Amino acid sequence: MQFKDYYQILGVARDEAADNIKKAFRKLARKYHPDISKEPDAEARMKEINEAYTVLSDPEKRAAYDQVGKGYQPGQDFRPPPDWDAGFEFSGEGYAPGDLHGAGDFSDFFAELFGRMGGQHGPFHAGHGAANLRGENHHAKVLLDIEDAYTSPSRQISLRVPNVDGSGRVRLTTRTLNVKIPKGVHEGQVIRLAGQGAPGFGNAPPGDLMLEVHFRPHGRFTADGRDLQLTLPVAPWEAALGSVIAVDLPQGPVKVRIPAGAQSGRQLRVRGKGLPDNPPGDLLLNIQVILPPADSPKAKQIYENMQSELAFDPRREGRD
Amino acid sequence: MSDDDIIIGTRLDESWLTLEQVASTCQVEADWLQRRIAEGLVPPPERMGGIWRLSGTMVARIRRTRQVERDFDAFPELAALVADLLEEMDDLRAQIRRLTPR
Repeated sequence: MQFKDYYQILGVARDEAADNIKKAFRKLARKYHPDISKEPDAEARMKEINEAYTVLSDPEKRAAYDQVGKGYQPGQDFRPPPDWDAGFEFSGEGYAPGDLHGAGDFSDFFAELFGRMGGQHGPFHAGHGAANLRGENHHAKVLLDIEDAYTSPSRQISLRVPNVDGSGRVRLTTRTLNVKIPKGVHEGQVIRLAGQGAPGFGNAPPGDLMLEVHFRPHGRFTADGRDLQLTLPVAPWEAALGSVIAVDLPQGPVKVRIPAGAQSGRQLRVRGKGLPDNPPGDLLLNIQVILPPADSPKAKQIYENMQSELAFDPRREGRD
Repeated sequence: MSDDDIIIGTRLDESWLTLEQVASTCQVEADWLQRRIAEGLVPPPERMGGIWRLSGTMVARIRRTRQVERDFDAFPELAALVADLLEEMDDLRAQIRRLTPR
């Protein structure tokens, strides 16, 4: 395991005052906030910054970190001596909701140093009066296909989760779960796996695992909430004269009536044919008129007939 | 339970939870959540008796509000405004993604 220099991550000196550490954190949080940052590694950097600030903003954790990290360089192989944290009195409750982070958000290094839960003198003992404390919820993202919303498939999901070993230390390990995805999920929704979070303390129940749903990009469809959207190519005569077209959807083909005079760019809404839900979403069809190429004498003749027979000027609209 | 067992997932917006479970889901403190709901600064989850139900969008909204408050010592009203703007930005980005040909 590599040593992490939290001071270097926040760009502050080892003896920096608490106020300046806070200022440095805010500056970096603004720069790397995943919602607004254009940096390619913003999410990873923000996790690192959050972890560093969690330690350096807490006087007890900072003192312990300073003591155990003395003489280490960033990236250097690191193994804390046994019982290094004896003598420190930690008041925090580790990965408690107040920290706003799940244990999975932090590195192995953090877990090794501050991950002792329920130990006799570790930083993550259950705290006063917390003999029965419900386990923490864990959060993860899950990447699904749009078709999964229709079929309720089972998916194998691998997660890095903290586990408490025999000595009370927390180790991050990989856990693989087979999850039955509920029907009708859509982007941004959360799937709850009851009891699959962190174990509770004492007789308290475990927390839940929350999976935030994201869809992989699809070649034909996009999803907007429960609405399903796709571009529908149509021939000029289908658009001009109106037609009934079979559209292939994940649940099977549906027949859609194209009204006469439909133009490219027009959107048709077919109620109830979007993603399954209660009520189901709508199907949004973006009409795209495709011209046949004038690549044969006959096709050229047809276009020339249209030119001579139809008084049509597409640029006249708006000038009259 | 073995890792091979299939775990049945339920949609969060179809699950009724206690206030503590809602707070834990949003990674916030229960009393903070109650205060912000009372102040109208975060959307109130659907409520029936002592249990609550909320959507994934609401979870994201509540977490963001709390994070902005905490990371920048922001006034609650300002944090709520930032969360509004981030949500708006999410919607606009999603629209761009849908309009961008692949």
